[in-house]
Amino acid sequence: MRYALYAGLVVASLVIQTTWLARVKIAGVVPDPLLIVVMAVGLLHGSEDGAVVGAGAGLLQDIVTGVPLGLGMLADLCVGFAAGLGGGLIYTENLWFPAAAAAALSALRTLVWAGTAHLVGLLQAPLVEVAQVGLLTACYNGVIAVPIFRGLVGLDRALLPSPEESL
Amino acid sequence: MVLDTVVRRRRLVLFVVLCILSLGVLTDQLRSPENRRTGWLGIAVEAALAPASAGFSRLSDAVVNGWSLLREIGRLRTENRQLAAEVARLREENASLRESAQEDLRLRALLGFKDPQYHTVAARVTGRDPSHWFDTLLVDRGAADGVRRNDPVVTSEGLVGHIIEAGGGWSRVLLIMDPRSAVGVLVGKSRDAGVAEGQGQLRLLVKYLSRDAAIQPGDPIVTAGVGGIYPRGLPVGSVIGVTRTAGDLFQEARVRPGADLNHLEEMLILTRGGAVQDSR
Repeated sequence: MRYALYAGLVVASLVIQTTWLARVKIAGVVPDPLLIVVMAVGLLHGSEDGAVVGAGAGLLQDIVTGVPLGLGMLADLCVGFAAGLGGGLIYTENLWFPAAAAAALSALRTLVWAGTAHLVGLLQAPLVEVAQVGLLTACYNGVIAVPIFRGLVGLDRALLPSPEESL
Repeated sequence: MVLDTVVRRRRLVLFVVLCILSLGVLTDQLRSPENRRTGWLGIAVEAALAPASAGFSRLSDAVVNGWSLLREIGRLRTENRQLAAEVARLREENASLRESAQEDLRLRALLGFKDPQYHTVAARVTGRDPSHWFDTLLVDRGAADGVRRNDPVVTSEGLVGHIIEAGGGWSRVLLIMDPRSAVGVLVGKSRDAGVAEGQGQLRLLVKYLSRDAAIQPGDPIVTAGVGGIYPRGLPVGSVIGVTRTAGDLFQEARVRPGADLNHLEEMLILTRGGAVQDSR
């Protein structure tokens, strides 16, 4: 049930991202609802779920968007894992928390993505450009994270009751 | 003992294993998009998502058009109500007709690009790669329409790229501005040969041009017809600058693509009609 829900969310995010959001590029950057989904899974269910869902979502994104396979997989699994590490430490009910977390994880994703592409010889993007893209992506995702994260938390609680509640 | 450690550090072990797996997948294809084979998984994913993408794309068009129309009507309502209603009706009709006329013009221009050696398949963009550095498009024509891997894609303004994946009713186009793209080209009247490489932005870099070649800004660039993907003579773009460094064997030219690669809606796929691909 849990993984079917994640799969559905990932697919819906991907379709929206490649058809609608890809048209509203600002300075070459597109908002990434998939990152918010992976972040939510990591924060709510821990590093293991975050990393697995991140890897699956990233691989699916690589397949659908045509970029070299493995780049998004690595970047998103790092996002899910990092979100899971912070999940137990931070109060997730704070209104501004999703924006800050999404911004930080977006910057991490850009860094891992561009860094890995650079290391394997796929990109020679200047550091300034990577920083610019990272910053813009962080701002963009920070804005969309607040409503999306709240919606995902509500959906998660409605469909996947915590072990304490189900006892 | 080892098993206990693995169980205790399960989270870290899982993370490391997934990292190694993703790096393994990545290093298997690197700069060559021809090695990017997604196999049955890719075919299944695209087969499942392509109709949804096409549907969302059309819905998006309808929403954008509807939103534009609402704004237009809202402005007109500030004027005389009766006249505004009439104007709104006429504008709606006019917008629809104008859009049809523009589409007709674009399609006519596309058909004018026809090469006798190739069959042409008109395709429409249904999805775009959202990443900043790579540039691919998803289009609504595929193997069922005779489209195959390595078929060239053009518009009336010039070369767009080539097909890197083709499914039943969809194909993926690698744009010439993608960093993985390299096209053999001829530059200007002197017809000096070079290789136009994508830079991830609306600019190509033509490398390996003879140092003695007289290349000027504005010189046209056409495909050289080598490599077996693109036919000879397709317009690619025009030179916007030349770089000569003392001591280098070659010079490089910066080129602006002829096709508006950031705003593509329709394009032509040049298929070889089932023949064995030419390997000139």
